[in-house]
Amino acid sequence: MKVCVLYSGGKDSNLALLKASEEFEVACLVSLMPESAESEIFHYPNVELVELQAKALNLPLIVERCSSDERRSMEALERVLRTAIKEFGVEGVVTGAIRSTYQATRFQRVCDRLDLWCFNPLWLRDEISILEEVLARGFEVIFVRVSGIDRSLLGKRLDEEVIRALAEMRNYANPAGEGGEYETLVLKMPLFRKKIEIIDAEVVGSEFDSMLLVKRGELV
Amino acid sequence: MILVISTCKYGLSEEEFVRPIAEIVEKAGFRYEIKRYKEKIDPKKYDKAIICGTALKDFEYLENMERFEWIHEFEGHILGICAGYQVIASLFGQKLERAERIGVYEVEVLKENPLAEKTFRAFFLHKLALKSAECVEPLAVQGDVICMFWIRKFYGVSFHPEVLNPEIVERFLKI
Repeated sequence: MKVCVLYSGGKDSNLALLKASEEFEVACLVSLMPESAESEIFHYPNVELVELQAKALNLPLIVERCSSDERRSMEALERVLRTAIKEFGVEGVVTGAIRSTYQATRFQRVCDRLDLWCFNPLWLRDEISILEEVLARGFEVIFVRVSGIDRSLLGKRLDEEVIRALAEMRNYANPAGEGGEYETLVLKMPLFRKKIEIIDAEVVGSEFDSMLLVKRGELV
Repeated sequence: MILVISTCKYGLSEEEFVRPIAEIVEKAGFRYEIKRYKEKIDPKKYDKAIICGTALKDFEYLENMERFEWIHEFEGHILGICAGYQVIASLFGQKLERAERIGVYEVEVLKENPLAEKTFRAFFLHKLALKSAECVEPLAVQGDVICMFWIRKFYGVSFHPEVLNPEIVERFLKI
């Protein structure tokens, strides 16, 4: 079966992609780029870096910009999936959804309307076990947005010490960032042909919601 | 020993529908074995069985009902989840009707039972379910859908308890 992966460039969509590639032919990546960081459904990524990641993966990328409004976001998702069906013949969608029934319900309904299989290989996974698997599988991951938790995580690499720190925050923050506590960027994973190197980046935002805006990255 | 059965056509779906159930069983302190429904099953080896759900588009298990004939000889309790609910209902001659539920809905308990006592919310993902019952006893409904039933020692739930109601699986294990 040919599938597409709903791709934000972070740890979850990359792990879902890796798992999908072990069973199916991944025909393309699809990315929704919210115009605002307030989107409840989609990750707010460094747009140009997703293009760089797609190059590193040697996979076609279909990008659609969308507003943070739910109805329009879902219309954008439907459009981008229609393109994936038409141009690449995909029969299924793979997502990195973990626990949000709000997100899962919307993805499942769109897939149903388009007669697509829907796969969520990280669904209900223990958040710390995801971080551990990402590390064990040789991913290089950095934190590109931190909101309401320790700001020193911004720009840091995911390692065992960071996982321990996130596990300790468990009582008040979701260790996988499912509550918007943080967003990540994958610089390297087993399917990348080259690694991403950040050449120029700037920290933007407030003390409580900071983002590492990558201005330039390169494949090395 | 608890038998956990995968009804999934694809391995990737097992990550979503089987692993979470196995984790609840393990956390509750029970030993378990996962089998795919097409594998040979020796029902005498197990005390209880859980037949897990699968992807919304997957109906392959309903075309292979002969693989579930062992259920008739099974002496322990069975919990059929979504696809498992459909399997148990079909084995006992019940008619599955088109009944789409995708998302979180309220469940109305009709009869107090070992798995659920009062109204609760659950995550649903199905296109077929029972709307009327002849030989199974309805235990709970969601609108016009019988979302929980009982027959012999077997329970069927059309929703996915692993998402919002893991205690239902835990209670089943303790019966």
